[in-house]
Amino acid sequence: MGTKEWKFRENRNLRTAATFSIKRVLDDVNRNLDRSDGRPIIPLSHGDPSSFSCFRTTQVAEDAVVDALRSAKFNGYAPKGGALQARRSIAEYLSRNLPYKLSPDDVYVTLGAKQAIEVVLSALSRPGANILLPRPGYPVYEAHAVLNHLEVRHFDLLQEKDWEVDLNGLETLVDDKTVAMVIINPGNPCGNVFTRDHLQKIAETARRMGILVIADEAYAHLTFGSNSYVSMGVFGNLAPVLTLGTLSKRWLVPGWRLGWIARSDPDGIFEEHGVVECIKRSLITNTEAATFIQAAVPQILENTTDDFFVQTINILQEDADMCYKWLKDIPCFTCLQKPQGSLFLMVKLDFSQLQGINDDMDFCSKLAKEESVLLLPGFVLGLKNWIRVTFAIEPSALEEGLARIKAFCMRHANKQ
Amino acid sequence: METPTNMTIKGILGILMASIDEDKKRRLISLGMGDPTAFSCFTTTDIAQDAVVQTLQSRKFNGYSPTVGLPQTRKAISEYLSTSLPYKLSSDDVYITAGCTQAIEVAISILARPNANILVPKPGFPIYELCAAFRNVEIRHFNLLPDRGWEVDLDSVDALIDHNTVGIVIINPGNPCGNVYSYQHLKKIAETAKRHKILIVADEVYGHLAFGDNPFVPMGVFGSMVPVLTLGSLSKRWIVPGWRLGWFVTSDPKGIFKNTKNIERLKKYFDICGGPATFIQAAVPCILENTEEVFFTRTLGILKQSSDLCFKKIKEIPCLTCPQKPQGAMSVMVKLNVSLLKDISDDVEFCFKLAKEESVILLPGLTVGLKNWVRITFAAEPSSLEEALDRVKSFSERHSHQQKVHIELS
Repeated sequence: MGTKEWKFRENRNLRTAATFSIKRVLDDVNRNLDRSDGRPIIPLSHGDPSSFSCFRTTQVAEDAVVDALRSAKFNGYAPKGGALQARRSIAEYLSRNLPYKLSPDDVYVTLGAKQAIEVVLSALSRPGANILLPRPGYPVYEAHAVLNHLEVRHFDLLQEKDWEVDLNGLETLVDDKTVAMVIINPGNPCGNVFTRDHLQKIAETARRMGILVIADEAYAHLTFGSNSYVSMGVFGNLAPVLTLGTLSKRWLVPGWRLGWIARSDPDGIFEEHGVVECIKRSLITNTEAATFIQAAVPQILENTTDDFFVQTINILQEDADMCYKWLKDIPCFTCLQKPQGSLFLMVKLDFSQLQGINDDMDFCSKLAKEESVLLLPGFVLGLKNWIRVTFAIEPSALEEGLARIKAFCMRHANKQ
Repeated sequence: METPTNMTIKGILGILMASIDEDKKRRLISLGMGDPTAFSCFTTTDIAQDAVVQTLQSRKFNGYSPTVGLPQTRKAISEYLSTSLPYKLSSDDVYITAGCTQAIEVAISILARPNANILVPKPGFPIYELCAAFRNVEIRHFNLLPDRGWEVDLDSVDALIDHNTVGIVIINPGNPCGNVYSYQHLKKIAETAKRHKILIVADEVYGHLAFGDNPFVPMGVFGSMVPVLTLGSLSKRWIVPGWRLGWFVTSDPKGIFKNTKNIERLKKYFDICGGPATFIQAAVPCILENTEEVFFTRTLGILKQSSDLCFKKIKEIPCLTCPQKPQGAMSVMVKLNVSLLKDISDDVEFCFKLAKEESVILLPGLTVGLKNWVRITFAAEPSSLEEALDRVKSFSERHSHQQKVHIELS
């Protein structure tokens, strides 16, 4: 008698979804590190500057959470959608950058921006639907789209136009099953910041196409170039916008897992089309941010002083300038744009200037092995043979890292 | 999307709260939800609170944790759970989730595949149904037997299983019924699962909250017989549901489930999801190691006292019958005899009118799968519980068929 096979099998969708994972790729790059190299590893590949002491959150935030915890009043479940005081203060905070006022009902608190993505995409899921994602982009979108049976269609960001959205290309992708488009501004991975004009054009296009805009603004306010941050919600009267945000980046606390979804939809189109219901249903099965952290949000948003924000921007600017200056002089890097915001920039590999390097993954693997510097190969973001550089680390460590990258590129330069 | 919005516990409770008559000016007493923090007698231990303040103020845990959880947290939980098992779990068996709710989501998502079905108890916990709907997994309900201490009706289980069944969910200690299964019964469940080659999802969110005759036995004890996915959290035993710290554990010493492929799948799923706050994770080792026995004993003492009180008071209410004195967890299922009531046709109407007239919230059994039953959460301040049940009694008297009594006497 043969043994019957156990009945549980893998979920194929999960397998496909998980190919879109920065973490997996970084694990693979990391594996090349030479442990006998005595020099410190320089990580220019991540999205989390909080491990560097120059990027420390404000005491106001820490105190707010300790107060909430010690009060012992916030150990119970929060209501689905978030504690009212958190929603109210987030609505007020976001309204400062909008020409209208958001109400607490327009805001849903999530377990970090990652969960905001999860909730929104599962809310939009319906048979045969498709979603438009930027290329290069942030693969968590692809992963959750697949998991929720949404077909992914990519539109390009145009490097030669400061990484603006290829609106013509986008229009060719839209059909009657398209539900939404995603923009990330300030941009991950490109470090661009869209102008107000461009955001308006995006909104007008979305309106014409009858699709909603998901505006990922995780890096809101983290701008240091000529373009200042404008919230997509400003154009909520043109096309309905779901804005995703978080404390993680501006307050340097990604580990606190406090994010939000905000509906910028003064004409109430979402309500009409049942999107609000869908978001609420999606929230039901999802877990929430810790109640006491939610309770601390009003204090954090209202009492953080400007000097904390200015300090962060100053270091980011110093890092961005340094990074641009160094990379500009290295022949194998092309298509370099001066970063305007966020923590990253994208740079293209010029293989005519290199020998013995096959592609972006090979470049990063060898760099890890020979110089203990970590960069992210662009293929996982949709642009093969490009590299994403995270410049948001301690400036002195960044300088060391850039010097090592230069040495590596010299060593692998095409000798002709 | 076809998911039923009105069938969540929080959803129904929200609607019931909204129908409270504010003019009545009576203190609202809710016995609707498994969250005792509303009552001051239920507080967490200072050890837990201090541990979290410490990790937060250390400033070492403001960044992302690994997606499967901090290594020290996984290790501490594996050690904590292993003390009740005949084998040792490794830290790799433990995945940190944002509360037991996320652990449920992981379990359903990892088992989902085209045409799969999962067996779920009735009455049960509606999050299973909701997660399954989102992941296109069919739910099949097996019965719990009220006259047998809410034990699993294993015959109904046998009848439901087919080649597409991937697992069976067992909630022990029980929500909503307050049962604690005996070792023998758990063994029978394990043998049934093994015979059909399906795994067990053991929802042990109320683990160790057993104050009756049966001690708590983790299903993982039978892990060598059949693979067990154990779900748990700090929420109930430490009375901190708002902290969202849970775990998903592979209690599978023979490695039947945790082959390379399945482990890869699990890790990949965690890669795309967010976990709980890093500094809360970091406090777990200290919490698990240093919480004193006296804290646990105290909580169990209050729960036992409340459950005894609840059982006693229900006996005084003719239209309510409690088939099984609660043995653990935080709630009990009570049958509503609608025929004794003159203008109430079902459990939903009973609860709505009760909310409106008496400012007491109970959960209609329909929400957890049993129409014309009511779930009462007894994890409350004993005096509040007593007052609430007194109001339920006077409510039922007011709505009872007086005439019937007269006819019988004459």
